[in-house]
Amino acid sequence: MDNDVTFADPFGQRTILLVDDNQDDVFIMRTVFRKVGISNPVQVLTNGEEAIHYLSGEGEFADRERFPLPAVVLLDLNMPRVNGFEVLKWIRWQPGLKRLIVEVLTASSRPGDVERAFDAGANSYLVKPSRMEELIEIMTAWHQLMNFRAFPVFPAPGS
Amino acid sequence: MNFEAAQLDRSIPGNRKPGDASRWLAAIVESSDDAILSKDLNGVITSWNSGAARIFGYTAEEVIGQPVTILMPPERFNEEPGILARIRRGERIDHYETVRRRKDGTLLDISLTVSPIKDAEGRIIGASKIARDISEKKRGEAALREANQKIAEVNEELKRSRENLANEVRARTVELRQTNEQLEELVYTIAHDLRAPLRAMQGFASLLMSEYGSKLDETAEDYCRRIVRAAGSMDTLVRDLLAYGRVSRVELPRKSVSLQSAWESAVRQNAQAIHEKQARIEVIPPLPNVVAHESTLVQVFANLLNNALKFVAPGVTPEIRFSAHFSGADAVKIIVQDNGIGIERRHCERVFRVFERLDGDRFPGTGIGLSIVRKGVERMGGVAGVESEAGRGSSFWIELRKAA
Repeated sequence: MDNDVTFADPFGQRTILLVDDNQDDVFIMRTVFRKVGISNPVQVLTNGEEAIHYLSGEGEFADRERFPLPAVVLLDLNMPRVNGFEVLKWIRWQPGLKRLIVEVLTASSRPGDVERAFDAGANSYLVKPSRMEELIEIMTAWHQLMNFRAFPVFPAPGS
Repeated sequence: MNFEAAQLDRSIPGNRKPGDASRWLAAIVESSDDAILSKDLNGVITSWNSGAARIFGYTAEEVIGQPVTILMPPERFNEEPGILARIRRGERIDHYETVRRRKDGTLLDISLTVSPIKDAEGRIIGASKIARDISEKKRGEAALREANQKIAEVNEELKRSRENLANEVRARTVELRQTNEQLEELVYTIAHDLRAPLRAMQGFASLLMSEYGSKLDETAEDYCRRIVRAAGSMDTLVRDLLAYGRVSRVELPRKSVSLQSAWESAVRQNAQAIHEKQARIEVIPPLPNVVAHESTLVQVFANLLNNALKFVAPGVTPEIRFSAHFSGADAVKIIVQDNGIGIERRHCERVFRVFERLDGDRFPGTGIGLSIVRKGVERMGGVAGVESEAGRGSSFWIELRKAA
């Protein structure tokens, strides 16, 4: 297990994958990233289906230079077509992605959703706050944590 | 029915003359309601009383000398050899229930007693037969059977109805539960969808203030603040409604809960307000355990504490006392006492109603907090109330079962 973990690649340069169908929330998240000093490249996908295409490197996402595997996925639950739970389950079934860090970021604080998300393999569960100040507080703390976090190294995609 | 004429002779009071006994006996036989007849060992009828005439419809002249089988329906002829054989052996047949035929061909149910008749030397020379018409009894029995049958049918029907009812109740319960689940799903979806635009309103108004602050004049900034505040209170409203809905519907399994730790959790939830208002909180031991649903109890305390911190006159430092008292055999009364603005006695019940607010201008809120308190306590099998007077603080109390 120790060999799976590395600090070699600092979080700061790695991609964040934001999967959320709400354009306002996406805009506000991008703004908050900037405000709290998160300068990572951010890829935004607006539904679960796109997220699966991106992560499996299909079609337009085949170019891993442009669309690299992310350090962390911030995943909304309530989305059209393929929802967050389904994306989570799919990720955990992919040998190349099963250790990918996936953090749920959703408006739902419903106990059933929290349990389902962890059952499906979520690494964390954050509830979107309504107040801007709270969101800034949360993402500041999150950023600090990410800078100290160890990330598993992925086997080459498709292995 | 083996009459010993001599014996009978002796039993007739004041009578010693031979022959009197025979007449006496003949009179008894004649007056009997039952058919009494005799037959010889070949089954030929030798005597016939008036009861027999009445029951079978034959006169004595018509049947004496006839075989006894003329009283039998053809399908019963086979009974006779058996009866005769038993008589020859000296046996007696008691209350043998069978069917016989009247002169007019109709059948009747009879109970038959057949006894051997012996001559002076003790030889069996024939048989006496006493036949009792039991058609009435049989009809009664049949009626009883029918009635029993009906009762059984009605019972069966009842049982079926009960089963149908039980099935229906079961089906309805399942339906209701599904409807409830769908409703809950709907409420969550609505709440989720309602909060998304609220986040946008709040977020963008905040961004406007923080990023374009220099370009906004005081009025524009005030507008932004109002948008943020309005969105914030609507968000609180949605959240409170969700909490109220949850406490009203969801199962609240109960166990022994420490009042101490539930109160401490509530204090932690209100830490910011406690700090801002420099509130003094006094916890008076002992605090027993109660039967409750832990997170609901924490929410109840948090709401009560929140009110105690909120509803104080300007400039007054909140002072809150938390205590528990045994009440009756197995109840605990928990009191949250404050030094707030108090509630006029006539409004003391109103404050527990949903959306009820007494002073919305001075103390903004959703009017749901105390509804959650009461609903939550009731769902845990307890009661909640308040004792208060305007200007003299309030004592909110809840009563729950003591943990064993």
